[in-house]
Formats: sequence, C-alpha cells, structure tokens
Amino acid sequence: MGIGPSTKETTLHHFRDPLLNVVDADQDVEIVAVIIAGTPQDNKSKEFISKRTANCLEAMRVDGAIISSDGWGNSDLDFVNTIGEVGKKKIPIVGLNFIGTQAEFVVTNQYMDTIVDFNKSDAGIETEVVGENNVIELDARKALAFLKLKMRK
Amino acid sequence: MEIIKKSEKISSLIINSFHIKDVVLADKFKIDRNILSISTKNISNLIAEEKLVSNIDLKIIKPNNHNLQINTIMDIIPISTKVLGEIGEGITYTLTGVYFMLTGIDKSGRQISDFGSSAGLLKDKIYFGRAGTPSQKDFIISFNVTLASGSAINRSGPIAIHRVCDQYIQLIRNVLKNLSANKSDEKHIFHDKRTPSKKRVAIIKQVAGQGTMYDNLLFPDEPSGFKGGKSIIDLGNMPVILTPNEYRDGALHAMT
Repeated sequence: MGIGPSTKETTLHHFRDPLLNVVDADQDVEIVAVIIAGTPQDNKSKEFISKRTANCLEAMRVDGAIISSDGWGNSDLDFVNTIGEVGKKKIPIVGLNFIGTQAEFVVTNQYMDTIVDFNKSDAGIETEVVGENNVIELDARKALAFLKLKMRK
Repeated sequence: MEIIKKSEKISSLIINSFHIKDVVLADKFKIDRNILSISTKNISNLIAEEKLVSNIDLKIIKPNNHNLQINTIMDIIPISTKVLGEIGEGITYTLTGVYFMLTGIDKSGRQISDFGSSAGLLKDKIYFGRAGTPSQKDFIISFNVTLASGSAINRSGPIAIHRVCDQYIQLIRNVLKNLSANKSDEKHIFHDKRTPSKKRVAIIKQVAGQGTMYDNLLFPDEPSGFKGGKSIIDLGNMPVILTPNEYRDGALHAMT
C-alpha cells in the first residue's frame, strides 16, 4: 500500500494547493511555512522523521499546524507518529487524511481528535480516478476551523 | 531590537498567467494571440537521448473530448517558467487552459504504476476540475511514454519518463519566457509577510519517499519542473522547510 491514483497529489495540485490558499487567505492566522516531509520505508526512519518534523515546528515557535498526507496505508504510520510527536510538545495539530471505509487507522493516539477525512467516494474506497479523493477547499476550511478552536484553548 | 507591530512584507512573488484558447500542431513552438503552437520535430531527438525510453506519443486532447483510451496517469503538470529570480520570488509566467498529462507504459504492456492504475477511458479515469486536474474546458497535452521492457519496476524508469517530459515542456517554456507581461490575462502578487498579532500556523505536507514510484522532487530549476530537482529520497526524507511562496511557485514536483 502507498498511494493510489485517486489519492495522489499531482504536480498541478501542489502548484495550486487549496490548503495553502485557504490558510493564506485567512485573516486570523499567518502561514509561516510549508514543510515537506518524506515518508521512508522502515519504522526507525519513520520515527526519526516524525521527531524531526515536530522539532521544526518547535524551532519555528508556531501556534499550530495542519498536517496533510499524500497517500494512505504505509504512510499512516508517519502521519500518526508525527501528530503524536507534535502533540507531546503541546502544539495544536489537525490532520487531513484519506480514510473512507478502506483506510481506517491501525494505530492512534490521544492527539488525533481532529482528523478530517478527505474521502469523496460513496463507497469510501480508492476509486482509481485521478483527483477524486484529493483535498478540496472545503476540507481545508474544516481543518483550519478545527485548528482555530484548538489554538483557542 | 526594533519590534515589528504592523504587517511587514518579507518577499514577493508575481505570477502572470496567459490563457490559452487553442493548441495546434505546427513546425515551431509559438504562443500568439492565446494560441499555443507545439511541434513534434524534437521528439525523435528526445527518444534518442534517453536509453530507457523507446517511444513517445504526443496528442492534443480538445475540451470535452475525453472518450479515449489512456495508459496510467503519472502526473498532471502545469506549464510555468521563471522570468525573473528563483523559485519563490520574482516573476513567474504560467499558462492556463492547457496542462500536460503524463502517462506511461513499458514495452511489455506493464502500466507504470504500482498501487492501482488509472489506465482506461480518460473520461472515467480523471475527476475534472480539482486543484490537481484539468477542467472539462481545458486542453490536455497527452504525453505518453513507452519504456524499454523491464525498466518500469526500477527507480530509473519512472525518472526517465518525468525527465523526458520536462525536456519537452522546456521547449514551450522557452517561448513563454519571451512574452511581454502586459499581454498576460491575469496578474497575481503574493507577499510572504509577518504580522506579530496573528497566530502562526505551519502546513506539513507528508509526501511519498519509499522508492521507485514513491518519490518527490524539490527545488527544480523551473516551477513544477524536473531538471535540477532534488529527490526527497536522496535528501533522506528529511523535512524541508519552504516559504509559502516557494511552495506556491512549484518547488515540489510529484513523482508518485
């Protein structure tokens, strides 16, 4: 498992990413950075990258973060680990992931109370239709709304 | 130390977009009066230079004309080029109304994909109008690459496909660069700024880096390009911090 046709983000998606546009346009928050984190194959590296990503956020003194995952299955571990590492630092974090009926998390943690599922298919599956199960503006708005609530606490 | 109270600009990026109303085959690459002319003359040279590539089939797909068979979609790529400065600052030109669709297969008939394939009828295999896909009204330049047998499962195969497509797109970028900014249809100015009164938020984009078809390139020479890009695998999958404008300017090229 990794990335299927309907969940993968194309180069065009990155060029006009609704997640960046929504956060950037919001008047209450300031977008400081977009962190690109890879998802390695082995577990030790996965834990290391999660920790490094969380430390980037700490070093930047951010008030909150949104993590979005390109793919599911293998990369869920990186996603869950990173949210855990960021949560431990008491930095509010919200996740965007493809879940549907096919990709429930195998592991979870206490910081995963705000996850937006960007599945768009009725059956909740990897449909093999390019672009179908991608983050759209509405998903980004939901994630940012969750984050604003979390940052208020 | 002086404390900044108001919003202060740090850097700026201007993106000028040129809208394309028609794409035609011609002897030369040209953009004139919203018409993009492209040539197939250089394709045999591109094939000759890439030893893993055995064929390239280029097709112009007109709007609402999507009832045709395609191989698995490897990427949808915008045509953008730097006119001033480097990625994330200065001036970028981009075309709207036309996008590249990169598809691939190997000589033995194996689709260049691993975890599910989007081979089939184009109208059934693409969800039109998403951020990452063309709209029904857009032109699509279909760039289908056939790899030599057996090279689909090695990292070098998919890399060769992305590289050869980028070399072709560069021929369009070279004519796009020479357009005059006052001919553009839209101009967008983006400022990276700091406003101490606002909550500071970062976005984390978790991307694939497991190998072969699970790769992403950072910092190509041209926006959304391939050449000069650094593979996230080769960077040890380490988190890389981009300014919002770098990301917006095509600093990340998907290879999934």
